[in-house]
Amino acid sequence: MSDWEAKITTFLCNWCSYGAADLAGVSRFQYPPNFRIIRVPCSARVSPKFVLAAFRHGADGVWVSG
Amino acid sequence: MLRYTEKIQETAKRLLQEKRVDAFIGYGKGSVPMMNQPLMVSDPDRVDRLYWDNFCGLNLCNYLTKRTDKVGIVANGCNSRNIVTHIIENQIKRDQLYIVGIPCEGMIDHRAVMRAVKQKEILDIQQNGKTFVVKGADFEETFEKEKFLQSNCAVCIHRNPVIYDELLGDLVEEQTGVSPYQDVEKVEAMDPEKKQGFFTRLISRCIRCYACRNACPLCYCPTCFVDESRPQWVGKSSDPTDTLTFHFLRAYHCAGRCTDCGACERVCPMGISMRQFTKKLNKDCQELFSWEAGLTLDQRPPLDVYRPDDYNDFIK
Amino acid sequence: MKGLLEHVGVEPGRLHFSWISSAEATKFVDVANTVAKEVKALGPARYFIKKRAEVA
Repeated sequence: MSDWEAKITTFLCNWCSYGAADLAGVSRFQYPPNFRIIRVPCSARVSPKFVLAAFRHGADGVWVSG
Repeated sequence: MLRYTEKIQETAKRLLQEKRVDAFIGYGKGSVPMMNQPLMVSDPDRVDRLYWDNFCGLNLCNYLTKRTDKVGIVANGCNSRNIVTHIIENQIKRDQLYIVGIPCEGMIDHRAVMRAVKQKEILDIQQNGKTFVVKGADFEETFEKEKFLQSNCAVCIHRNPVIYDELLGDLVEEQTGVSPYQDVEKVEAMDPEKKQGFFTRLISRCIRCYACRNACPLCYCPTCFVDESRPQWVGKSSDPTDTLTFHFLRAYHCAGRCTDCGACERVCPMGISMRQFTKKLNKDCQELFSWEAGLTLDQRPPLDVYRPDDYNDFIK
Repeated sequence: MKGLLEHVGVEPGRLHFSWISSAEATKFVDVANTVAKEVKALGPARYFIKKRAEVA
Protein backbone atom coordinates (compact mmCIF):
# COMPACT_ATOMS: atom_id res chain seq x y z
CA MET A 1 0.00 0.00 0.00
CA SER A 2 2.87 2.38 -0.59
CA ASP A 3 0.92 4.27 -3.23
CA TRP A 4 -2.06 4.71 -0.97
CA GLU A 5 -3.19 8.28 -0.60
CA ALA A 6 -5.67 9.30 2.05
CA LYS A 7 -9.00 10.64 0.90
CA ILE A 8 -10.31 13.29 3.20
CA THR A 9 -13.80 14.59 2.74
CA THR A 10 -13.78 18.23 3.64
CA PHE A 11 -16.77 20.40 4.38
CA LEU A 12 -15.85 24.05 4.08
CA CYS A 13 -18.02 27.01 4.92
CA ASN A 14 -18.47 29.23 1.90
CA TRP A 15 -17.68 32.36 3.87
CA CYS A 16 -14.83 31.24 6.05
CA SER A 17 -12.64 28.31 5.23
CA TYR A 18 -13.58 28.14 1.59
CA GLY A 19 -12.40 31.69 1.32
CA ALA A 20 -9.26 30.73 3.18
CA ALA A 21 -8.68 27.82 0.81
CA ASP A 22 -9.19 30.14 -2.12
CA LEU A 23 -6.77 32.64 -0.68
CA ALA A 24 -4.27 29.86 -0.03
CA GLY A 25 -4.52 28.90 -3.68
CA VAL A 26 -4.20 32.47 -4.92
CA SER A 27 -1.20 32.98 -2.66
CA ARG A 28 0.33 29.76 -4.05
CA PHE A 29 0.76 28.07 -0.70
CA GLN A 30 1.54 24.38 -0.86
CA TYR A 31 -0.77 22.00 0.93
CA PRO A 32 -1.46 18.28 0.61
CA PRO A 33 -3.69 17.14 -2.23
CA ASN A 34 -5.75 14.64 -0.22
CA PHE A 35 -8.80 16.79 0.25
CA ARG A 36 -12.10 16.46 -1.56
CA ILE A 37 -13.76 19.73 -0.82
CA ILE A 38 -17.49 20.19 -0.50
CA ARG A 39 -18.59 23.77 -0.25
CA VAL A 40 -21.47 24.34 2.13
CA PRO A 41 -23.33 27.61 2.69
CA CYS A 42 -22.41 27.46 6.37
CA SER A 43 -20.65 24.86 8.42
CA ALA A 44 -23.83 24.53 10.49
CA ARG A 45 -25.31 22.97 7.35
CA VAL A 46 -23.22 19.90 8.02
CA SER A 47 -25.27 17.38 9.91
CA PRO A 48 -23.93 14.24 11.53
CA LYS A 49 -25.55 12.35 8.67
CA PHE A 50 -23.10 13.93 6.25
CA VAL A 51 -20.13 12.88 8.26
CA LEU A 52 -21.39 9.34 8.55
CA ALA A 53 -22.28 9.28 4.85
CA ALA A 54 -18.71 10.29 4.05
CA PHE A 55 -17.26 7.53 6.20
CA ARG A 56 -19.72 5.03 4.77
CA HIS A 57 -18.59 5.84 1.28
CA GLY A 58 -15.04 5.14 2.16
CA ALA A 59 -13.52 8.41 3.23
CA ASP A 60 -10.40 7.94 5.31
CA GLY A 61 -11.00 11.15 7.18
CA VAL A 62 -13.51 13.94 7.49
CA TRP A 63 -12.72 17.54 8.17
CA VAL A 64 -15.37 20.10 8.96
CA SER A 65 -14.23 23.67 8.95
CA GLY A 66 -16.11 26.92 9.40
CA MET B 1 -46.57 -1.86 44.08
CA LEU B 2 -49.97 -3.31 43.33
CA ARG B 3 -51.51 -0.84 45.72
CA TYR B 4 -51.08 1.83 43.07
CA THR B 5 -53.52 0.10 40.75
CA GLU B 6 -56.55 1.05 42.84
CA LYS B 7 -55.31 4.57 43.35
CA ILE B 8 -54.71 5.03 39.65
CA GLN B 9 -58.18 3.77 38.89
CA GLU B 10 -59.76 6.08 41.47
CA THR B 11 -57.85 9.09 40.23
CA ALA B 12 -58.60 8.34 36.61
CA LYS B 13 -62.29 7.94 37.37
CA ARG B 14 -62.42 11.21 39.26
CA LEU B 15 -60.57 13.12 36.56
CA LEU B 16 -62.73 11.75 33.79
CA GLN B 17 -65.98 12.33 35.67
CA GLU B 18 -65.04 15.87 36.57
CA LYS B 19 -64.07 16.37 32.94
CA ARG B 20 -60.65 17.56 34.00
CA VAL B 21 -59.21 15.43 31.25
CA ASP B 22 -60.55 14.04 27.99
CA ALA B 23 -58.50 10.89 28.15
CA PHE B 24 -56.33 9.12 30.64
CA ILE B 25 -53.19 7.26 29.65
CA GLY B 26 -51.97 4.47 31.83
CA TYR B 27 -51.04 0.82 31.63
CA GLY B 28 -53.33 -2.12 31.13
CA LYS B 29 -52.64 -5.72 31.83
CA GLY B 30 -51.13 -7.39 28.81
CA SER B 31 -52.40 -10.56 27.25
CA VAL B 32 -49.41 -12.50 28.56
CA PRO B 33 -47.70 -12.10 31.93
CA MET B 34 -44.97 -9.46 32.25
CA MET B 35 -46.16 -7.59 29.18
CA ASN B 36 -48.19 -4.63 30.29
CA GLN B 37 -49.53 -2.55 27.50
CA PRO B 38 -50.30 1.14 27.21
CA LEU B 39 -53.96 1.87 27.72
CA MET B 40 -55.94 4.99 27.00
CA VAL B 41 -59.28 5.39 28.75
CA SER B 42 -61.83 8.05 28.01
CA ASP B 43 -64.90 6.45 29.57
CA PRO B 44 -65.04 6.79 33.40
CA ASP B 45 -66.79 3.46 33.67
CA ARG B 46 -63.92 1.59 32.13
CA VAL B 47 -61.12 2.71 34.40
CA ASP B 48 -61.05 -0.72 35.99
CA ARG B 49 -58.86 -1.85 33.12
CA LEU B 50 -56.03 0.35 34.32
CA TYR B 51 -53.31 -1.53 36.02
CA TRP B 52 -49.90 -1.07 37.60
CA ASP B 53 -47.15 -3.42 38.64
CA ASN B 54 -43.44 -3.80 38.11
CA PHE B 55 -43.66 -4.57 34.43
CA CYS B 56 -44.77 -1.13 33.30
CA GLY B 57 -41.54 -0.51 31.46
CA LEU B 58 -42.92 1.08 28.33
CA ASN B 59 -42.82 4.83 28.05
CA LEU B 60 -46.23 6.48 27.88
CA CYS B 61 -44.94 9.80 26.60
CA ASN B 62 -45.06 8.34 23.13
CA TYR B 63 -48.77 9.01 23.18
CA LEU B 64 -48.49 12.66 24.16
CA THR B 65 -46.76 13.97 21.07
CA LYS B 66 -48.79 16.73 19.39
CA ARG B 67 -52.01 15.96 21.24
CA THR B 68 -54.51 18.79 21.35
CA ASP B 69 -56.89 17.55 24.04
CA LYS B 70 -56.41 17.39 27.77
CA VAL B 71 -54.87 14.20 28.99
CA GLY B 72 -54.11 12.65 32.28
CA ILE B 73 -51.05 10.48 32.41
CA VAL B 74 -49.36 8.13 34.81
CA ALA B 75 -45.72 9.03 35.31
CA ASN B 76 -42.91 7.52 37.27
CA GLY B 77 -39.43 9.01 37.43
CA CYS B 78 -38.20 8.52 33.90
CA ASN B 79 -41.59 9.04 32.27
CA SER B 80 -42.01 12.35 34.05
CA ARG B 81 -38.62 13.43 32.79
CA ASN B 82 -39.76 12.55 29.29
CA ILE B 83 -42.85 14.66 29.83
CA VAL B 84 -40.59 17.58 30.75
CA THR B 85 -38.60 16.98 27.57
CA HIS B 86 -41.81 16.96 25.56
CA ILE B 87 -42.92 20.25 27.10
CA ILE B 88 -39.53 21.87 26.47
CA GLU B 89 -39.64 20.70 22.88
CA ASN B 90 -43.16 22.11 22.42
CA GLN B 91 -44.75 18.77 21.73
CA ILE B 92 -47.44 19.38 24.33
CA LYS B 93 -48.36 22.19 26.70
CA ARG B 94 -48.08 21.89 30.43
CA ASP B 95 -51.69 22.98 31.01
CA GLN B 96 -52.97 20.20 28.80
CA LEU B 97 -51.57 17.66 31.17
CA TYR B 98 -52.68 16.26 34.44
CA ILE B 99 -49.73 14.25 35.65
CA VAL B 100 -50.31 11.52 38.16
CA GLY B 101 -46.94 10.90 39.71
CA ILE B 102 -45.88 7.51 40.92
CA PRO B 103 -42.73 6.99 42.94
CA CYS B 104 -41.13 4.10 41.15
CA GLU B 105 -39.27 1.22 42.66
CA GLY B 106 -37.79 -0.04 39.45
CA MET B 107 -39.14 -2.31 36.77
CA ILE B 108 -38.44 -5.98 36.51
CA ASP B 109 -36.54 -7.22 33.50
CA HIS B 110 -38.78 -9.76 31.84
CA ARG B 111 -35.83 -11.34 30.06
CA ALA B 112 -34.03 -11.97 33.33
CA VAL B 113 -37.13 -13.68 34.66
CA MET B 114 -37.40 -15.81 31.55
CA ARG B 115 -33.78 -16.81 31.93
CA ALA B 116 -34.29 -17.64 35.58
CA VAL B 117 -37.08 -20.07 34.79
CA LYS B 118 -35.09 -21.48 31.86
CA GLN B 119 -37.41 -20.06 29.20
CA LYS B 120 -40.37 -22.11 30.37
CA GLU B 121 -43.76 -20.63 29.75
CA ILE B 122 -44.93 -18.39 32.54
CA LEU B 123 -48.63 -18.38 33.20
CA ASP B 124 -48.94 -16.08 36.14
CA ILE B 125 -46.91 -13.71 38.28
CA GLN B 126 -47.86 -12.56 41.74
CA GLN B 127 -46.09 -9.71 43.45
CA ASN B 128 -45.88 -9.23 47.15
CA GLY B 129 -43.60 -6.49 48.31
CA LYS B 130 -39.98 -7.26 47.65
CA THR B 131 -40.53 -10.67 46.12
CA PHE B 132 -42.56 -12.09 43.32
CA VAL B 133 -43.83 -15.56 42.59
CA VAL B 134 -43.64 -16.96 39.09
CA LYS B 135 -46.07 -19.71 38.21
CA GLY B 136 -46.01 -21.98 35.22
CA ALA B 137 -47.72 -25.19 34.25
CA ASP B 138 -45.45 -27.37 36.35
CA PHE B 139 -43.39 -25.03 38.51
CA GLU B 140 -43.65 -22.25 41.01
CA GLU B 141 -40.71 -20.16 42.06
CA THR B 142 -40.15 -17.13 44.24
CA PHE B 143 -37.63 -14.49 43.31
CA GLU B 144 -36.32 -11.36 44.90
CA LYS B 145 -37.29 -8.29 42.98
CA GLU B 146 -34.05 -6.49 43.68
CA LYS B 147 -32.03 -8.94 41.61
CA PHE B 148 -34.27 -8.77 38.57
CA LEU B 149 -34.43 -5.06 37.98
CA GLN B 150 -33.96 -3.76 34.46
CA SER B 151 -30.37 -2.68 34.03
CA ASN B 152 -31.35 0.97 33.78
CA CYS B 153 -33.53 0.79 36.89
CA ALA B 154 -30.72 -0.77 38.87
CA VAL B 155 -28.61 2.37 38.41
CA CYS B 156 -31.49 4.86 38.38
CA ILE B 157 -31.08 7.94 40.53
CA HIS B 158 -34.35 9.67 39.64
CA ARG B 159 -37.04 7.34 40.81
CA ASN B 160 -39.44 10.00 41.94
CA PRO B 161 -41.35 11.97 39.33
CA VAL B 162 -39.95 15.45 38.74
CA ILE B 163 -43.27 17.08 37.87
CA TYR B 164 -46.72 16.01 38.87
CA ASP B 165 -50.10 17.43 39.75
CA GLU B 166 -50.86 14.71 42.17
CA LEU B 167 -48.71 12.10 43.80
CA LEU B 168 -49.94 8.64 44.62
CA GLY B 169 -48.07 7.27 47.56
CA ASP B 170 -45.02 8.63 49.32
CA LEU B 171 -41.81 9.59 47.61
CA VAL B 172 -39.31 6.77 47.65
CA GLU B 173 -35.76 7.14 48.73
CA GLU B 174 -33.43 7.73 45.79
CA GLN B 175 -30.64 5.28 45.30
CA THR B 176 -27.23 6.56 46.22
CA GLY B 177 -23.86 5.08 45.64
CA VAL B 178 -24.72 3.61 42.26
CA SER B 179 -22.37 4.43 39.43
CA PRO B 180 -24.56 4.74 36.38
CA TYR B 181 -21.79 4.84 33.80
CA GLN B 182 -19.71 1.87 34.78
CA ASP B 183 -20.17 -0.03 31.52
CA VAL B 184 -19.52 3.10 29.47
CA GLU B 185 -16.24 3.60 31.24
CA LYS B 186 -15.30 0.05 30.49
CA VAL B 187 -15.83 0.61 26.78
CA GLU B 188 -14.07 3.95 26.89
CA ALA B 189 -10.97 2.26 28.19
CA MET B 190 -10.74 -0.01 25.14
CA ASP B 191 -8.62 0.85 22.13
CA PRO B 192 -10.38 1.64 18.83
CA GLU B 193 -10.04 -1.85 17.46
CA LYS B 194 -11.57 -3.44 20.54
CA LYS B 195 -14.37 -0.91 20.50
CA GLN B 196 -15.11 -1.76 16.89
CA GLY B 197 -15.33 -5.40 17.80
CA PHE B 198 -17.49 -4.70 20.81
CA PHE B 199 -20.04 -2.70 18.91
CA THR B 200 -20.02 -4.92 15.86
CA ARG B 201 -20.85 -7.85 18.09
CA LEU B 202 -23.38 -5.83 20.05
CA ILE B 203 -25.50 -4.99 17.04
CA SER B 204 -24.81 -8.07 14.97
CA ARG B 205 -28.16 -9.53 15.99
CA CYS B 206 -30.13 -6.43 15.04
CA ILE B 207 -32.90 -7.20 12.56
CA ARG B 208 -33.75 -3.55 11.92
CA CYS B 209 -37.33 -3.88 13.14
CA TYR B 210 -37.15 -0.34 14.55
CA ALA B 211 -39.00 -1.39 17.69
CA CYS B 212 -36.52 0.68 19.69
CA ARG B 213 -37.34 3.70 17.60
CA ASN B 214 -41.06 3.23 17.94
CA ALA B 215 -40.93 2.66 21.66
CA CYS B 216 -38.83 5.75 22.21
CA PRO B 217 -40.81 8.87 23.12
CA LEU B 218 -38.03 11.03 21.67
CA CYS B 219 -38.38 9.61 18.18
CA TYR B 220 -41.26 11.63 16.88
CA CYS B 221 -39.84 12.98 13.60
CA PRO B 222 -42.47 12.88 10.85
CA THR B 223 -40.00 11.03 8.65
CA CYS B 224 -37.17 9.18 10.26
CA PHE B 225 -33.80 9.45 8.55
CA VAL B 226 -33.79 5.71 7.97
CA ASP B 227 -36.98 5.98 5.95
CA GLU B 228 -35.73 8.77 3.74
CA SER B 229 -34.81 7.60 0.29
CA ARG B 230 -33.78 10.81 -1.41
CA PRO B 231 -31.04 10.89 -0.42
CA GLN B 232 -30.82 7.55 1.21
CA TRP B 233 -28.63 8.02 4.24
CA VAL B 234 -28.63 4.48 5.35
CA GLY B 235 -29.41 1.19 3.64
CA LYS B 236 -32.37 -0.85 4.76
CA SER B 237 -30.60 -4.15 5.08
CA SER B 238 -29.14 -5.68 8.19
CA ASP B 239 -25.66 -5.05 6.85
CA PRO B 240 -23.37 -4.31 9.81
CA THR B 241 -22.48 -0.84 8.58
CA ASP B 242 -26.11 0.06 8.00
CA THR B 243 -27.13 -1.18 11.40
CA LEU B 244 -24.31 0.66 13.04
CA THR B 245 -25.23 3.86 11.21
CA PHE B 246 -28.82 3.47 12.33
CA HIS B 247 -27.97 2.89 15.96
CA PHE B 248 -25.36 5.61 15.92
CA LEU B 249 -27.64 8.27 14.52
CA ARG B 250 -30.61 7.17 16.57
CA ALA B 251 -28.52 7.58 19.68
CA TYR B 252 -27.14 10.87 18.47
CA HIS B 253 -30.64 12.25 17.97
CA CYS B 254 -31.31 11.44 21.61
CA ALA B 255 -28.29 13.35 22.88
CA GLY B 256 -29.26 15.45 25.87
CA ARG B 257 -32.83 14.17 25.68
CA CYS B 258 -32.60 10.54 26.65
CA THR B 259 -33.80 9.85 30.17
CA ASP B 260 -32.56 6.28 30.17
CA CYS B 261 -36.07 4.87 30.61
CA GLY B 262 -34.96 1.60 29.05
CA ALA B 263 -37.99 1.25 26.78
CA CYS B 264 -35.75 0.63 23.76
CA GLU B 265 -34.02 -2.28 25.39
CA ARG B 266 -37.20 -3.67 26.78
CA VAL B 267 -38.93 -3.88 23.42
CA CYS B 268 -35.98 -5.20 21.45
CA PRO B 269 -36.92 -8.66 20.21
CA MET B 270 -33.26 -9.60 19.99
CA GLY B 271 -32.29 -8.31 23.41
CA ILE B 272 -29.70 -5.84 22.19
CA SER B 273 -28.38 -3.44 24.76
CA MET B 274 -28.62 -0.26 22.69
CA ARG B 275 -28.38 1.83 25.82
CA GLN B 276 -24.63 1.47 25.36
CA PHE B 277 -24.92 4.17 22.71
CA THR B 278 -27.29 6.56 24.44
CA LYS B 279 -25.59 6.24 27.78
CA LYS B 280 -22.30 7.42 26.38
CA LEU B 281 -24.03 10.58 25.23
CA ASN B 282 -25.77 10.99 28.56
CA LYS B 283 -22.42 10.75 30.21
CA ASP B 284 -20.93 13.33 27.84
CA CYS B 285 -23.84 15.70 28.48
CA GLN B 286 -23.32 15.32 32.16
CA GLU B 287 -19.61 15.90 31.96
CA LEU B 288 -19.50 18.66 29.37
CA PHE B 289 -22.70 20.53 30.10
CA SER B 290 -23.66 19.29 33.59
CA TRP B 291 -26.97 18.37 32.07
CA GLU B 292 -29.35 15.57 32.75
CA ALA B 293 -32.41 15.39 30.55
CA GLY B 294 -35.83 16.36 31.78
CA LEU B 295 -35.13 17.62 35.25
CA THR B 296 -36.33 21.17 34.87
CA LEU B 297 -38.79 23.10 32.75
CA ASP B 298 -36.93 26.38 32.69
CA GLN B 299 -33.65 25.45 31.13
CA ARG B 300 -33.01 24.79 27.47
CA PRO B 301 -31.21 21.57 26.55
CA PRO B 302 -27.47 21.80 25.81
CA LEU B 303 -27.67 21.25 22.06
CA ASP B 304 -30.19 24.07 21.89
CA VAL B 305 -28.18 26.90 23.36
CA TYR B 306 -24.91 28.58 22.67
CA ARG B 307 -22.75 29.81 25.46
CA PRO B 308 -19.37 31.40 24.88
CA ASP B 309 -17.86 29.09 27.44
CA ASP B 310 -19.18 25.93 25.76
CA TYR B 311 -16.84 23.05 25.48
CA ASN B 312 -14.83 23.48 22.30
CA ASP B 313 -11.58 21.66 22.77
CA PHE B 314 -12.22 19.59 19.68
CA ILE B 315 -12.08 22.62 17.38
CA LYS B 316 -8.68 23.54 16.08
CA MET C 1 -20.42 13.77 17.63
CA LYS C 2 -16.77 13.11 17.79
CA GLY C 3 -17.13 11.63 21.25
CA LEU C 4 -19.62 9.04 20.14
CA LEU C 5 -17.74 8.20 16.94
CA GLU C 6 -14.68 7.50 18.99
CA HIS C 7 -16.77 5.55 21.41
CA VAL C 8 -17.93 3.16 18.70
CA GLY C 9 -14.38 2.75 17.55
CA VAL C 10 -13.49 5.27 14.89
CA GLU C 11 -9.97 6.47 15.48
CA PRO C 12 -9.83 9.98 16.96
CA GLY C 13 -7.64 11.33 14.17
CA ARG C 14 -10.18 10.69 11.44
CA LEU C 15 -12.59 13.48 12.22
CA HIS C 16 -11.46 17.07 12.50
CA PHE C 17 -13.17 20.33 13.17
CA SER C 18 -11.65 23.74 12.77
CA TRP C 19 -12.50 27.37 12.63
CA ILE C 20 -10.70 29.44 10.05
CA SER C 21 -11.57 32.91 8.78
CA SER C 22 -11.40 33.68 5.08
CA ALA C 23 -8.34 35.82 5.63
CA GLU C 24 -6.38 33.09 7.36
CA ALA C 25 -4.88 31.30 4.39
CA THR C 26 -1.79 30.40 6.39
CA LYS C 27 -3.84 28.85 9.15
CA PHE C 28 -5.75 26.90 6.52
CA VAL C 29 -2.54 25.50 5.13
CA ASP C 30 -1.31 24.64 8.63
CA VAL C 31 -4.46 22.83 9.59
CA ALA C 32 -4.62 21.10 6.20
CA ASN C 33 -1.14 19.76 6.78
CA THR C 34 -1.94 18.44 10.25
CA VAL C 35 -5.20 16.86 9.15
CA ALA C 36 -3.55 15.15 6.21
CA LYS C 37 -0.67 13.99 8.37
CA GLU C 38 -2.90 12.54 11.06
CA VAL C 39 -5.17 10.74 8.64
CA LYS C 40 -2.22 9.36 6.70
CA ALA C 41 -0.70 8.11 9.90
CA LEU C 42 -3.84 6.09 10.56
CA GLY C 43 -3.77 4.41 7.20
CA PRO C 44 -6.80 3.48 5.12
CA ALA C 45 -10.16 3.23 6.86
CA ARG C 46 -11.67 -0.21 7.07
CA TYR C 47 -14.38 0.31 9.60
CA PHE C 48 -17.74 1.87 8.81
CA ILE C 49 -17.41 1.43 5.06
CA LYS C 50 -20.40 -0.06 3.41
CA LYS C 51 -19.15 -3.01 1.43
CA ARG C 52 -20.72 -3.67 -1.91
CA ALA C 53 -23.48 -6.20 -1.54
CA GLU C 54 -22.27 -9.59 -2.51
CA VAL C 55 -24.41 -10.98 -5.26
CA ALA C 56 -25.19 -14.59 -4.65
